[in-house]
Amino acid sequence: MDVAIVLLVPWAAAALLAMFDGRRPWVGWTAVGALTATVAISVALAAGAFGSEPSATVAGGWPAGIGIELRADPLGVLFIVLSNAVLLSALVYQVAAGVRARIFPALVLFLAAGLTGLFLTADVFNFYVFFELSMIAAYALAVYGDEARQLIAGFIFAVVNLLGSFLFLIGVAAIYHVTGTLEMDAVAARIAAVDPSATIMIAVAIFVAFGVKLGLFPFHFWLPTVYTSASPAVAAMLSGAVANIGSYGLLRFGAGILTDELRLGATVLIAIGTLSILYGALQAISRRTSAEVLAYSAIGQAGYVLIALGIGGPVGIAAAIVYAIVNSINKALLFLVTRIRGWLVAGAFAIGAFSVAGIPPTAGFFGKVELFRAGIEENSIALVALIFLGGALSFVYMFQIYQHDFWSRQRRTGPESPLPLRAIAAVLAVVVVALGFWPEPILWASREAADVLIAGSEP
Amino acid sequence: MTLLLAATIGILFGTGAFLLMKPDLFRIVVGIVLVSNAANLTVMANGLSRGQSPILPIERGVTISDPLVQAMTITAVVIGFGVTALLLSLAYRIYVSSRTVDLDELSHAEARHEAELEREDVSV
Repeated sequence: MDVAIVLLVPWAAAALLAMFDGRRPWVGWTAVGALTATVAISVALAAGAFGSEPSATVAGGWPAGIGIELRADPLGVLFIVLSNAVLLSALVYQVAAGVRARIFPALVLFLAAGLTGLFLTADVFNFYVFFELSMIAAYALAVYGDEARQLIAGFIFAVVNLLGSFLFLIGVAAIYHVTGTLEMDAVAARIAAVDPSATIMIAVAIFVAFGVKLGLFPFHFWLPTVYTSASPAVAAMLSGAVANIGSYGLLRFGAGILTDELRLGATVLIAIGTLSILYGALQAISRRTSAEVLAYSAIGQAGYVLIALGIGGPVGIAAAIVYAIVNSINKALLFLVTRIRGWLVAGAFAIGAFSVAGIPPTAGFFGKVELFRAGIEENSIALVALIFLGGALSFVYMFQIYQHDFWSRQRRTGPESPLPLRAIAAVLAVVVVALGFWPEPILWASREAADVLIAGSEP
Repeated sequence: MTLLLAATIGILFGTGAFLLMKPDLFRIVVGIVLVSNAANLTVMANGLSRGQSPILPIERGVTISDPLVQAMTITAVVIGFGVTALLLSLAYRIYVSSRTVDLDELSHAEARHEAELEREDVSV
């Protein structure tokens, strides 16, 4: 199967649906259909990437090495399946609740196309193009709802992230200058021979770019405003799918290309990760609305990914992948239930909260277990203690907000939300629990992806 | 040439970053445009090479300048153009809904909104 199909389906559908009024139900449901097809193709692609032969294609029929290569490797397809599934659940939620902007379904499909391309491409500059494509869709989605504060939040979101994108572009230009190529594999092979004083600057620029995207501690300031003001479906998309750009970028560029620099900067990464975890958790404890708590929790959770990456090695990188996957499912679930009421909702929220805190039998437990494994591998009691402390703090803030939201009269009175909305929350909650009972596929896939990533980075 | 380009990029980026810190939405947009152009110029500067223009037919044995950076820059310019349009339309929408482009005034309004939320929260 040609790899490009998974990119073409959402892209063509988006271009087509952009011409129709997205507030009409049939447009929304067509978008849902197109995205479902994309998810199905991504799953087929994933089966191929983990199975017999990873598929790749060179765009435009150019010979390999000249044209831009799209290749479905295990790390990429994992993130493709994850992001498209999160986007699908958020889109179904919004279509079931009623779309209020004419461009919304098309934007979600553009976002899906951008993210898919970003996870597929094997070319550094092409990565930047898809990066911008998905971010522009995300900027436009962030103001969905048209309230004054959403517009301001969207503006800040766009400005800060654009600054990050331009830093990334400068990093790409520098990579081209020192290695003379844009192909990821060739860059990885040649960069080891380059003077470290140059490559460290490149690594810093790229790290800052993805740090902004992921909302790590010193670059997080845009995140709470945006996540709290965005509508629930959009917040779920931003934290469950768009933030994956940050995790994937750090993995691909850190562990896959700039390996020496990653090793050199490991202490810094672990320090920034620690700060993120503590800052996010302490801020989350002091907040009282669920959207705010979740926004600060997102900052803290990103810190775990960074710590796992700093530990490095097959175990650390596999832990980073598992954690990134689990975290984005958790956040999608939790943001979607923030504004719905009724039967099933409290249970879904509790499962999400358990998962964030890392309590069995939820997916989050295995995320934490993998981190503990990585910490023990590193022989660091401090790290294990930190992960435990972070988990304990997240337990406190998640249940504080659970209590505030579901034990007070506010959430128990008033009309129940429509059944489809609650059903989506329930499905996501079931996924979180199912992954907790049967985590083997995800653990195996992450290890496989980490092995391929590490093998690819060795010249 | 390298020094001249480095100085230009530095000034562009510095001016852009300075404008980004202003509390005025349109100055921020101009700041982003300048930073984006600094990045575009960096891409060009990174592939600076002397030679014949890379247009067919190319004579054998002569060096040609690197066409790839030009291709990258034109792509980045187009992206920058789209982004600027989006930012300007956002700024205009903010102006239409809030009647101001001053970030300080806008954040005061935001603070009032939060204070209201806080009061509602206490009353429940």
